[in-house]
Amino acid sequence: MDDSASTATVGDTPAPSFIGERLERWVETHLRYIMLAPAVLILAALTLFPTFYMFTLSFQKFNPAVDVPNEWVGLGNFARLLTDEKFHNALGNTLFFTGAAVGIEFVLGLSFALLVDKYIRRLNFIKTILMLPMMLPPVAVAITWKLIYQPQFGVLNDFLFRLGLPTGVWTSGADSAMWAIIFVDIWEWTPFIFLMMLAGIASLPEEPYEAADLDGASAWQKFRDLTWPFLRPVVTIALLLRLMDALRLFDQVFILTRGGPASVTETLSLYIFRVALRFQDIGYAAAMSLFVLFSTIVLSTWFIRRMQMDDSKA
Amino acid sequence: MKRLLSLVGTLVLSAGLAGTALADLTVAVPNGSEGDGLRAAAVDYSKLKGVKIEIVQAPYSNLFERAATAASTRSGVFDIVLMDDPWIPFFAENGFLVELGPFFKGIGTDGPDNDFLSKSVALCRNPYNTGPYICLPYVGNAQLFFYDPEQYASVGFPDGPRTWDDVLTASTELTGDGSSRKYGYTMRAAEGNPVVADFMPIFWSFGATLFDADRKVSLQTPEALQAVKMFLALAKVAPPGVESFGADEVGTAIAQGSAYSAINWPNWVATFEDPAQSRVVGKIANVKMPDGTSAGSSEIGHWTMGISIDSKNKQEAFDFMVWATSAEQVKISALRGNPPVRFSVFTDTELTSQEQYRHYPTLMQAINFSTPRPRHPQWPEIENAFGRELSAAVAGRISAEEALDRSQKAIEAIIAR
Repeated sequence: MDDSASTATVGDTPAPSFIGERLERWVETHLRYIMLAPAVLILAALTLFPTFYMFTLSFQKFNPAVDVPNEWVGLGNFARLLTDEKFHNALGNTLFFTGAAVGIEFVLGLSFALLVDKYIRRLNFIKTILMLPMMLPPVAVAITWKLIYQPQFGVLNDFLFRLGLPTGVWTSGADSAMWAIIFVDIWEWTPFIFLMMLAGIASLPEEPYEAADLDGASAWQKFRDLTWPFLRPVVTIALLLRLMDALRLFDQVFILTRGGPASVTETLSLYIFRVALRFQDIGYAAAMSLFVLFSTIVLSTWFIRRMQMDDSKA
Repeated sequence: MKRLLSLVGTLVLSAGLAGTALADLTVAVPNGSEGDGLRAAAVDYSKLKGVKIEIVQAPYSNLFERAATAASTRSGVFDIVLMDDPWIPFFAENGFLVELGPFFKGIGTDGPDNDFLSKSVALCRNPYNTGPYICLPYVGNAQLFFYDPEQYASVGFPDGPRTWDDVLTASTELTGDGSSRKYGYTMRAAEGNPVVADFMPIFWSFGATLFDADRKVSLQTPEALQAVKMFLALAKVAPPGVESFGADEVGTAIAQGSAYSAINWPNWVATFEDPAQSRVVGKIANVKMPDGTSAGSSEIGHWTMGISIDSKNKQEAFDFMVWATSAEQVKISALRGNPPVRFSVFTDTELTSQEQYRHYPTLMQAINFSTPRPRHPQWPEIENAFGRELSAAVAGRISAEEALDRSQKAIEAIIAR
């Protein structure tokens, strides 16, 4: 029975006006949308509009001058990607960094997780210590490592010098700079992989392992045939998040090397930043950003499908 | 319904509170003494004139990006921008700066008074030294050559270095095999602005120029090659790792006594003479740039104030700029650590009699014989391209000849685009 209909027949209190009643009913019916609208509008303003604007800019030559319209260049900015050596260099650096950093982080993170789970399961203190680097702001991490790597007054060289070992130029050397940045990333983000893997390992069922023990399976066989297949969904998520994050590396490079020396550490994000804001060549920067966006989407989609196919085969 | 009304009410209240925070003038300045000086001046001006001034400070490397983005989006968010002088062509030639001529006429003059150094005022005209005024100079920087006279005397240069050959000879001797971790010379060789800023005085001292009289790139010359070779020779006697050094690393190396000579900005004098930060108090001399095959010339690096074309308070902005660059205020700014731009302040005996201002005569001479960076609206991109190749040469990845050839092509491509 409809309550509102029954109260309307009482007639002791004055009935609300027709428009007021309809408005109130409309608000009640649509309240969920009204409450969501600000968030959706803000999201649209902050993501959809910039993406659309970037898309349109990528077909134009941006002219910063007052009252000079942008020039429509069609696919010109995208064609420029094919011949721009600095872009190729930044792309190569980004891919090298991503492959090396995420690969090493994954191996270390998984190894630590297996070790901690097997031997020091109850030592929460160790887990907390291992997670600390991830909790620090990336800028603070980069500044700290900049001081550590400083060739003349840095802690690292001072330590090596006191031990009688050869010192290095770390972020200043053309051969060592990229590895110095990769090391910082490994130091900061291995705990993330570790945490994900540890959570995954903790949720594994015990029965299959008991059965494997009864069958006399070795540790490697248990890892290969039980742990790895069970962990695969967690591995997919962890690697995907790290890959997407590594592909847009900016803070560490900006603070530690600014892309030098000899551009050996210039990543795509840093190059796009320079082209857009320093050189005010915003159309070309938009084209590069779109390239990175679509590449990341394609890579992520391929990666997820590949893992799903492996799962279905297993 | 009540929930909806309260939401609207909250938004209206927030907008009202935000509105009360609006200032009469908004000024973009860099971090450091230049920005701090103008911030303090703005507080004084607000008390004096009742004008509310908001100072927005940003690190040097981000200030250009912020100001350029604000200008190109026509937001008018900044009324005044405190600009490094190489940025002037970008802002001026894209029409982002107000011409100051009519405002000067309003106060009965044609331009800045004669007390300003002529080189300082020349920067604020676009085209350089001939066009209309588009800014006012506020901080008078020009690079100085810093060296330790005691160390240079110990290797046969009791009067200090006169030429870059002297610097190289002395530095080679002082550095030795590097085992002492003390170096005769240090430099900024980090990619981009730092390496170019350190290289240009050497470049000019060998008679080279980036653009010839026809505004064509002129890097493939014997003079330019000689300059790059000298720069690379100096890098070999500098501390390991200069490939990532900026002004801070160079200044610190001098202040800690681990390097004995370098090019740097005059604001480092205060650090060298501060016992809390320096191990070389009273030991570091500063002189004009050494000569090469031509007379040595410092790179000028002034901070100048310009009014945004989109400012809604142009007259108020001009009034503040004139007040802040008056002789009285420039002296106060000097006391706050900013080198002046006026002859009367450079020669003020109240200042020059004090230890921390003893470099003023040298600095004024350096400004008077300085050279501006090439005035081109695409200078940030040109500087980046040139700096990239110089950095690669210092890192030993390419030769001096390759650095110049590649720079020539890269800069030509930038200009042609």
